[in-house]
Amino acid sequence: MIIESSDQVSRLSWLKRFPIPRNFKVTPESRIERGRTWPAPADAKRVKAFEIYRYDPDSGGNPRLDKFHVDVDDCGPMVLDALFWIKNKVDSTLTFRRSCREGVCGSCAMNMDGTNWLACTRFISDLGTNATIYPLANMRIIKDLVPDLTHVFAQYAAIEPWLYSKTPEPEKERLQSPEERSQLDGYYECILCFCCTSGCPSHWWNGNRFLGPAVLLQAWRWLTDSRDEAKGERLDALEDPFRLYRCHTILNCTRTCPKGLNPGKAIAEIKKAIVEREK
Amino acid sequence: MINNGTTDGNSTPTRPRPLSPNIQIYRPQLTSVLSIANRVTGLILSLGAVGLVVWLSAAAAGPQTYRVVQDVIESWAGQFALFGCTFAFFLHLCGGIRHLVWDTVHGFELRSIYISGWTVVAASIVLSAAAWTISLFVAGWHP
Repeated sequence: MIIESSDQVSRLSWLKRFPIPRNFKVTPESRIERGRTWPAPADAKRVKAFEIYRYDPDSGGNPRLDKFHVDVDDCGPMVLDALFWIKNKVDSTLTFRRSCREGVCGSCAMNMDGTNWLACTRFISDLGTNATIYPLANMRIIKDLVPDLTHVFAQYAAIEPWLYSKTPEPEKERLQSPEERSQLDGYYECILCFCCTSGCPSHWWNGNRFLGPAVLLQAWRWLTDSRDEAKGERLDALEDPFRLYRCHTILNCTRTCPKGLNPGKAIAEIKKAIVEREK
Repeated sequence: MINNGTTDGNSTPTRPRPLSPNIQIYRPQLTSVLSIANRVTGLILSLGAVGLVVWLSAAAAGPQTYRVVQDVIESWAGQFALFGCTFAFFLHLCGGIRHLVWDTVHGFELRSIYISGWTVVAASIVLSAAAWTISLFVAGWHP
């Protein structure tokens, strides 16, 4: 099956997950236990089941998988609508981040049916009969679907996402030609939802040192900015076996980006820029 | 990450925060599956290289030793392993070429990623079949 754009949902219903044990490499505090099942409303005609990852830090217990039954006729079309429906009508303790409900803020990034996307722009009808909803993969979980993003934002800060200038300040703004400005297209649109970083196997295994696709895409956004004058220093900081070169061009990042951006290509541009300056 | 389960070290939860599942739940895709396949075939080729050395050493050691190794290779299990090595060789070769193209910052559109991926799979099957057809045609079949 040829995927044309990242919003295309895989129609393959077999092999929804890798054939490995559920608790493969899982530490005791992260083991997922069976949760409770909430019945559908008695008058519901079209019902869809959602298995949702729950974690309550105050209970002292482990994460669990609760099963909810959503009345699709009583609910909006998006997965975020289903989460609201559950929170309003079934279990008000269900916790998740959301803000814009239109794919601009990146708050509601989560793992639905095994792939990362924004809950506000994923149709309920695109999920399988037994939909599974987990928080972003490989994140420390604060509560339910709310991941702790401190580490990835610290990685973002590490690439110094602001302009550096060495030349004296001009009287007016620093000008850019339309061509120079177009170099930022496909990179400036990143909303830092971290769907890509959380879907990157290299970041799963070496996330403490590998910067991950989202941050490296941002790194390229500043490298390719004609107004920035710290290209050499930026490349020096990135030229590291872990920070940059743990990227093995798996390209799960490009497959999962909810904005249709291409972190894989941005990383290849960085690698090429490092090779070219060494000539 | 810091071992107490937080990533900033400032907050001190009473128990470590759980890590959300990654490989256990993430959907297999052509992108990740071919990446794993490239690793596994690389491993198989390293083992195959050991096998090649064993075969050559046996040939140098004399006809009796060579006969033993040759019997193993000619068994059904040996033939299966040999075919596996051939397929691993071509998958790793084609995958390697795909990576070389990527290193020049070409073929990163999602459509190209999927077309090149399936091309690698198809080409390895065709090349393995061709290699075996030719070698059987040249050497003949000695089960």
